[in-house]
Amino acid sequence: MDPKTPTCPPPSAASEGAPDGQASRRDFLQGALRLASGAFVLFSGGALAAGLPKPGAPGEGYDWSEHRYAYLIDTQKCIGCGSCARACTAENDVPEGFFRTWIERYAVSTEDSHVDSPNGGKDGFPPLQVGFEVTKSFFVPKICNHCKETPCIQVCPVGASYRTKDGAVLVDGERCIGCGYCVQACPYGSRFILPETHTASKCTWCYHRITKGLKPGCVEACPTGARMFGDMKRDGDPVRHTIEHDRVAILQGHLLTEPQCFYLHLDKEVR
Amino acid sequence: MEHARHVFRAIILLVVVVAVVSIGRGFLVPKSYGLHGAYRHDNVKEQMEVRAPRHGGAAACAACHAAEAEKRAAGAHKTVNCEVCHGPVSRHAADGKRIAAADVDRSYLLCARCHRKVLARPEKFPQVVLEQHVKDMGADGPVEGKICLDCHHPHSPTP
Repeated sequence: MDPKTPTCPPPSAASEGAPDGQASRRDFLQGALRLASGAFVLFSGGALAAGLPKPGAPGEGYDWSEHRYAYLIDTQKCIGCGSCARACTAENDVPEGFFRTWIERYAVSTEDSHVDSPNGGKDGFPPLQVGFEVTKSFFVPKICNHCKETPCIQVCPVGASYRTKDGAVLVDGERCIGCGYCVQACPYGSRFILPETHTASKCTWCYHRITKGLKPGCVEACPTGARMFGDMKRDGDPVRHTIEHDRVAILQGHLLTEPQCFYLHLDKEVR
Repeated sequence: MEHARHVFRAIILLVVVVAVVSIGRGFLVPKSYGLHGAYRHDNVKEQMEVRAPRHGGAAACAACHAAEAEKRAAGAHKTVNCEVCHGPVSRHAADGKRIAAADVDRSYLLCARCHRKVLARPEKFPQVVLEQHVKDMGADGPVEGKICLDCHHPHSPTP
């Protein structure tokens, strides 16, 4: 007896198929596999389609595909009063010691530079003494840049961070597991973990306001017009016009995150 | 058919696995997940409705305080929103009715936040060296105890 095929019929018989019309083992296995994979696709596809609502706009009376928001900051106009940061706290219940937006003060000489932001600038800025002769000094408001190619979304392991069609980077607090990867991934320090819920939080551009046609709280509060908010899809929008026609800068452009917060009169010292 | 029995076992096992995965997926994956990307699309609506806007803008205040609003709009503080000093309107009024006093910080900080002389402010912006100003007015003691509002009126300020 052939030791290689102790119980099976010769291979030639199997490949030719059974003469009496019954399927051979090979045909049967192939058929079964095809059927099974087909059933799997049908099952999963069917389950998906049954449970899904129709894709579309997120809310009544608001079409997010008609907007693409952008933020513009003129650092020359900022007086460092902190009204923006206080308004943000009031509008969004930001806990003490955390900031969705803040103001930095730069004191620069040719040899040295100094940055401070006492309590995020919420209480204004006292006069400053530094150990070198300051040749220029200015305020820089900071906020989430709502980047197009943002690392914070890329690192989220549970799909809690996402970018809406109108351009806002948001966090789904229900999905967030509070791992903090996004907090570390953000090169601008815009994110933090909420102490009560242990989930990530950040500036939403006041998504509850902008989707109703209002400006974000910080823009509403700014007394000098240093902070501006606009819609890149709206004709005649002044912010869109400035971004399209003026010389605007972004923060940390070498990281290729494509920030959607643009700066006018930005100094090289600002990161 | 005798030889095919183990194949049937494999098929049954496969069917069970497929059923468990698809049913389990239905429970574990949120309904709107994946509609527009790898996130729960329902959250967009939740974010839109997370709370009613709290800052109403100057027009919301003018609805009741027309005289003060006019005074502000005609003065040097016309670009300063009421809520910058008075806090968000939602704390003060609801459905057109007063629910609480709008709290104002009446200390020197109310003015100092914007007008204290700080190097980083734009040069043309009106600024005061507080210590010098107190001295010029013939007063003494630290700046912290002074109240600018005793002389200056913030709704229509004059230098």
